[in-house]
Amino acid sequence: MSKMKINIPLNRVEGDLEISVDIDNGIVSDAWSSGTLYRGFEKILLGRGAMDGLVITPRICGICSTSHLTAAAKALDAVVKVNPPPDAIRIRNIVQMTEHIQSDIRHAFLMFAVDFVNQAYKKSPLFEEAVRRYEPFKGETVIQTIKETKKLIEIIAIIGGQWPHSSYMVPGGIVSVPSASDLLQCRLLLNQYRNWYEKRIIGCSLERFKEIISVADLNAWLEECNSHWESDLGFYIRFTRAMGLDKIGRGHDFLLSYGSLDLPSDTKIKGSKDQNFLIPSGFINNKSIDEFNSSKITEHVAYSWYMDHEGGKHPFDGETKPYATGNESRKYSWSKAPRYDGFAAETGPLAEMVISGNKLIDDLITCKGISVFVRELARIIRSIELIPIIETWISEVSCNGNFYKSPGEIIEGEGYGLTHASRGALGHWVKIKDGKILHYQIITPTAWNASPRDSDGIRGPIEEALVGTPVQDISNPIEVGHIVRSFDVCLVCTVH
Amino acid sequence: MSRTIYWLQCGACGGDSMGLLSMESPDILELLKLLDIEILWHPSLSNAKASFHRSLLEAIFSGEQSLDILCVEGSVIRGPGGTGMYDTFEGKPKKDLVGGLVKHAKAVVAVGTCASFGGIGSDGEIEATGLQFLKRNKGGFLGAEFKTTSGLPVINLPGCPCHYDVLAGILSSVCYGMPIPLNQYNSPLEWYNMLIHQGCVRNEYHEYRVEEPDFGDKGCLFFHMGCRGPLSYGPCNKLLWNKRSSKTRIGVPCVGCTSPDFPQNYPFFKTRNIAGIPIELPDGIDRAHYLAYKSMAAAAAPERLKKRQTNI
Ligand code: SF4
Repeated sequence: MSKMKINIPLNRVEGDLEISVDIDNGIVSDAWSSGTLYRGFEKILLGRGAMDGLVITPRICGICSTSHLTAAAKALDAVVKVNPPPDAIRIRNIVQMTEHIQSDIRHAFLMFAVDFVNQAYKKSPLFEEAVRRYEPFKGETVIQTIKETKKLIEIIAIIGGQWPHSSYMVPGGIVSVPSASDLLQCRLLLNQYRNWYEKRIIGCSLERFKEIISVADLNAWLEECNSHWESDLGFYIRFTRAMGLDKIGRGHDFLLSYGSLDLPSDTKIKGSKDQNFLIPSGFINNKSIDEFNSSKITEHVAYSWYMDHEGGKHPFDGETKPYATGNESRKYSWSKAPRYDGFAAETGPLAEMVISGNKLIDDLITCKGISVFVRELARIIRSIELIPIIETWISEVSCNGNFYKSPGEIIEGEGYGLTHASRGALGHWVKIKDGKILHYQIITPTAWNASPRDSDGIRGPIEEALVGTPVQDISNPIEVGHIVRSFDVCLVCTVH
Repeated sequence: MSRTIYWLQCGACGGDSMGLLSMESPDILELLKLLDIEILWHPSLSNAKASFHRSLLEAIFSGEQSLDILCVEGSVIRGPGGTGMYDTFEGKPKKDLVGGLVKHAKAVVAVGTCASFGGIGSDGEIEATGLQFLKRNKGGFLGAEFKTTSGLPVINLPGCPCHYDVLAGILSSVCYGMPIPLNQYNSPLEWYNMLIHQGCVRNEYHEYRVEEPDFGDKGCLFFHMGCRGPLSYGPCNKLLWNKRSSKTRIGVPCVGCTSPDFPQNYPFFKTRNIAGIPIELPDGIDRAHYLAYKSMAAAAAPERLKKRQTNI
């Protein structure tokens, strides 16, 4: 077979992504990831009121709007140099983590695992079971996921009024004052969700699963009993291994975390590093973890539909000048190309877990390297880490406590808010003058992951992860779909 | 034969699709079953491959596949300079796909404020517009005269996002063939003939003009904090969100996300006022009488409200 190019518009991602790959003798030899929508948020914000980012930026993304709100509020916290009271930080975290765990499970079982039902696997002995679980709108897990995640996000509505698109976080804290019964309701909802997740998704208690710290442990766990084997996680492991998804989708091996979920000053929860975050920051390049420094972030536009500039620009100097050339130049995406210290870094639950020192994930990568399997696994098991911490934080909140410290009018200053959305590192950089927004730049997780090439022609993480992938059937390139979806791409975010 | 839906995402954030997953009693899966609806295509939930999608579109365009309801999420993006190249599908402007599909649908539903009125980006370089309105002006992308094959205008379900129970209600009304009386912005009176303000738990504070100058307390947010509740039409405080609450109930001033001119072009969370009285009063109210009523109300305010003792 000779070389050919195929274009693949991808559904089941939030927003518009088109992947194109060169296939050379059945192997992907090159790849391009293209965001096909431009919405101009960074410019819509200019000249608006200082607080308007709290209303406008959540609308970037209907699936991680709480994380945009967090980044926007933290950027303004920095502008006015105010530290929200510890209970406000707790509540912000509780809501954000709740958004993460619903997003992780919805992605895994409504969007990722749906590919297990692809015709490509029709002959597999696991196919029938995959259909039973994941057939769109009908599969058992699909039905349960819709019902259970919906209940979980009631927590967000109790505290933040609605999901998606609330603006309950403001500089200085949060606007609401949760009552004792509000917090009690949150606790019950979380308990219900934990019970379901334990029973259906992992087939054991969170505590049991936490004992797993190596590949050998994981294999033993899988075989240990029926409930492990039959759980959705059990099936995930069986299926992905059988289909070789632990061998594709490696990428550059550069992993990035900004650090996320600030620790309140008076909590008994400890971060895993000596940092003020639950999820530590760091950058991994060839196994060593470097200290993260936000001044090393730049964005390139050489291959993006924006007016050219030399090299990369830090988001405080960044600009957004769209330049729609269609197919006539080397430019091919509305996503800019973010780089960390010049590297095309991958971000998301996998990066977070590696940088936090999760032993199981570490061992999986040591044995076989990064893959579709381990990237999505990190997402499915993140809840195991997060649920008990949310429980603790809910119990630590003092009802009718102090949730807001007024920062007064915001007239002038600059600041940035870094956090993690469900899909990874998210940042807002803002400058305020005369009470108005003078500058606003946003870098989303999927901009990192689905980035096009940079000024040096280096591929983005997804593009790199695709190269070298064998494709069995070019009319149904399911392998490409698996790899791209393992990044849980959110294109509406990317092409804000 | 099942009724069919095609769901199209344009200049959208995906929030309305997420709303689908939040539908209550019945939930989305039960609703589809009860109404015998088949979703031909939804960009986030279908699992068909790209080639199926292409042939589906061809079948709809040739009339071979009938289309009962076209749901559009997100604005139609016409920029730059009317080309639509800020939003493309397989290299061609997405707006052309919208223009093609609307001709074949029996009902077209604009889900959310962006699809209804342009929303985010309607003042911006992306030249966003709603399907049949641009802000308060009839016309939009399809023109004021547009009617579907069954003679309906685009049904607008504003809200950022649209409340999922409103969407469920409209899908049911269309399927049962019930009349859908519309207001001047082509939104169903059933849900858009009530104010966000109605049902807000801060109403008693509002009544006696116990108003908050800052976030974090129990009083009303109208006089100082920019609440749009008494000016915006929608069911947030009747239907509630995620079964639980609403923005104004927990203390976020209403941002007027159901309004044709959302997002407003002056700062949020700040009431524009003259001598402490809002420039924009509750919809339809006579200014002089309102001022008299408010000063009497403030004088009559009970201590329990002034001291914020009454829970909300
Ligand atoms: S906060 Fe807004 S919606 Fe609630 S009572 Fe006051 S004006 Fe009405």
